Amino acid sequence: MTAYVVRRIGLLVLSLAVASVVVFALLRLLPGDVATTIAGTQASPAQIAAIRADLGLDRSLPAQYLSWIGGVLRGDFGHSQLNGTTVSAELNRKLQVTLPLAAGAMVVALALAIPLGTWAATRRRTVAGGALNALSQLGIAIPSLWLALLLVWLFAVQLSWLPAQGFPVDGWDRRGAAIRSLVLPWLALGLTEGAVLLRFVRSAVLGVLDSDFLRTARATGLTRSQALLRHGFRNAAVPVVSILGLQSAALLVGAVVIEQVFTLPGVGSMLVTDIGNRDLVKVQGEMLILVGAVLMLGCTVDIAHRIIDPRIGSTV
Amino acid sequence: MTFLNSSRTHRVPVTLAALAVLFTAACGTGADTGAPAALQTTQAATPPDDQLDTDATVNVRLTLEPTSLDTFGTSGAALDQLLLDNVYQGLVSIDTDAGDKIVPALASSWEQSPDGLAYTFHLVPNAKFHDGSPLTAADAVWSLQQQIAPGSKSIKAAGFTSIADVSAPDPATVRIAVKQRDTLLLWNLTQRGGIVYRQGTDFAGLGGAENGSGPFTLAQWNRGSSITLARNDSYRGVKPKVAKVIFTYIKDANSANNAQVTGQTDIQVQADPTLLQPFTGNDKFTVLRGTTTDKFTLAFNGTRAPFTNPDVRHAIRQAIDRQGAIDAYGSGVAIGSNVPPQDPWYEDLTGIDSYNPDNARKLLATAGFANGLPLTLDVPNIYPTAITDLLVSDLKKVGITLTVRQVEFQTWLSKVYTNKDFQLSLVDHAEARDLDNYTKPGYYFGYDNAQVQQWYTQARTAASDADRDVLLKNVARQISQDAAADWLFLVQSTTVLRHGVYGVPQAETSNRYNLSALAVGKQR
Repeated sequence: MTAYVVRRIGLLVLSLAVASVVVFALLRLLPGDVATTIAGTQASPAQIAAIRADLGLDRSLPAQYLSWIGGVLRGDFGHSQLNGTTVSAELNRKLQVTLPLAAGAMVVALALAIPLGTWAATRRRTVAGGALNALSQLGIAIPSLWLALLLVWLFAVQLSWLPAQGFPVDGWDRRGAAIRSLVLPWLALGLTEGAVLLRFVRSAVLGVLDSDFLRTARATGLTRSQALLRHGFRNAAVPVVSILGLQSAALLVGAVVIEQVFTLPGVGSMLVTDIGNRDLVKVQGEMLILVGAVLMLGCTVDIAHRIIDPRIGSTV
Repeated sequence: MTFLNSSRTHRVPVTLAALAVLFTAACGTGADTGAPAALQTTQAATPPDDQLDTDATVNVRLTLEPTSLDTFGTSGAALDQLLLDNVYQGLVSIDTDAGDKIVPALASSWEQSPDGLAYTFHLVPNAKFHDGSPLTAADAVWSLQQQIAPGSKSIKAAGFTSIADVSAPDPATVRIAVKQRDTLLLWNLTQRGGIVYRQGTDFAGLGGAENGSGPFTLAQWNRGSSITLARNDSYRGVKPKVAKVIFTYIKDANSANNAQVTGQTDIQVQADPTLLQPFTGNDKFTVLRGTTTDKFTLAFNGTRAPFTNPDVRHAIRQAIDRQGAIDAYGSGVAIGSNVPPQDPWYEDLTGIDSYNPDNARKLLATAGFANGLPLTLDVPNIYPTAITDLLVSDLKKVGITLTVRQVEFQTWLSKVYTNKDFQLSLVDHAEARDLDNYTKPGYYFGYDNAQVQQWYTQARTAASDADRDVLLKNVARQISQDAAADWLFLVQSTTVLRHGVYGVPQAETSNRYNLSALAVGKQR
């Protein structure tokens, strides 16, 4: 077990090292640099060269990489070359919007998918079940962007129930306003995500419904609902939970579009702006932290799996 | 070289229209320029002070957030828009709603010596920086010295090369001595380079902070969403009539409309002129029009074939229906050269290379492209595609197959602006008074005419503003006759405001957004 944990952590460190090189190199493929953002269209070439030298952009790429990664190893993820804000402070601020956004959307999705998916599975041969199945197909086809526009039109413009866009200037200090500003984004992201999950829940429950153990449970005198609740769900949950992990990451990525539509100051909007400004030192720091978080999550899950279920083979 | 002018009869109505625009822009009388009745050039008069809510917070939608607040070393109109006049002040300023008239700021008055080589500025009394320290002539001298120091990192340093010496004979007087007359110096002092900083300011520390002397202070910057300015209660002059202004940066035009319709914003700056339906004919809102300095410029790479042939450049200009481009964008004015109507050296040049596709085809045939000419256009992806669609169809009619390459703005800066790797480029040149771009052969479009360069130099050192204006008119006319570029149109600004908000800036809103007159009526 100890050997496995050591190997798994070794793999994590190796992956992070590779990720740092990939992130750094990919960003350097973009044309232009932060010096032209600072200088604009009015500075002389000599001034632009001076800015480049000041920021160390005239050094070789390996030298720039080493000085960056050296900082990271000392716990300094770097700072914006435009306005000096540190990567950790900025990321912390933006995650206060993006994490609640993604988490809330996941709650909406699950609240929709679990009851409806189960219902659709138990009624698979009825017209209603088929209709729900078709409806979920439609839900997957609708882009969350379009749904967002519809929701805003109805709930903000026509009914004036909720704000059309934005996040309170004072953030979570005004909790009520912050929550109100996230309701429509939660729905826009959650409903489309819910449609995806609904189909997974439905097929997972279907698989369980046909299983031998459920038939045995029924034979002991349980009704179908009782059997499903006591024995079915726990087994149906296994594939759904695996998918949930993948979909959570997808939700964070999908949040970029929703953040733009609702003008939410989250991680996605920040990365888009920073890349547009070629504030690359900031972007690579932010990317490395995000990649690191996902990799660490995967590592923790793997190790936890081994602890919970010793049957899983040690294939790293 | 071929010079082409259209018939005189065509020019008269255009001149009249341009004059009407100029008249309304300069005097603000609300004369109808033919725009729909709901679009106005004037706004309701501000009620007396006792009917104003001086505790009001005003929410203003802007599009482009500054990347840094360092007004000394970082470029970007977003920074000027936010901070000039409001947070930072220079000796002098301009009134964008009065045809860019130069007006007092930190200097209450100024004189120029008869030989034009010395300027004396008299400072207003009791001026203070936001940190509480007094603002004196020594601060103004130090600030200008940072502009003229060798190797200055100021992005506006080029505007002050004529200065020989700056001095402070007493704490309330600033004297500037110039090497030769400089008819553009006063203007340059109204811009960012003229900002008075506290002596010894470390510009590296201004990225997210400020220490200006204006009527507003920076209260909060939520990067990625909003910037809040608060009234400076210890301001020396007339204090702002509102307590706070929150600038919310909303890029998407639909989101901005929704925010305005639902009352999240009081003022929508740079509204999309093609999406005004919620506001026109709605008595809760006023839609204001104003002039700008935004020139949508179709540039030719003048150093490369086929653009080294003037016939090709003239043909492209004559192939473009500029009224069509204005309609596609939703608002604008044809200008005919690189000068907007509010500049003193403006004249109507729309008659040069006016729309004439038949002649364009002949010119292309003369140039050897009777069988067609494929060209590529690089355009930043921030502009409406309706404009480029129009260019493609207009140029197709004269035999030019245009391939449009939408690029990120940074890619445009790198590929087109820096590396000059392009054929045609379309970009909004938003800077005010930027005729000098046509005097620099190293500039990205590579236009090189010794006569133009000489006129421009003479204009800078001219004995009077009148002489300067004559010379700059020559420059503007010559660059148009040479087809150095095509100026599709000058953007007109579109501002939506809710009723009960007064004193809203309406002209040149992307360069300066002076909040000193902004007011909110008591009953909301």
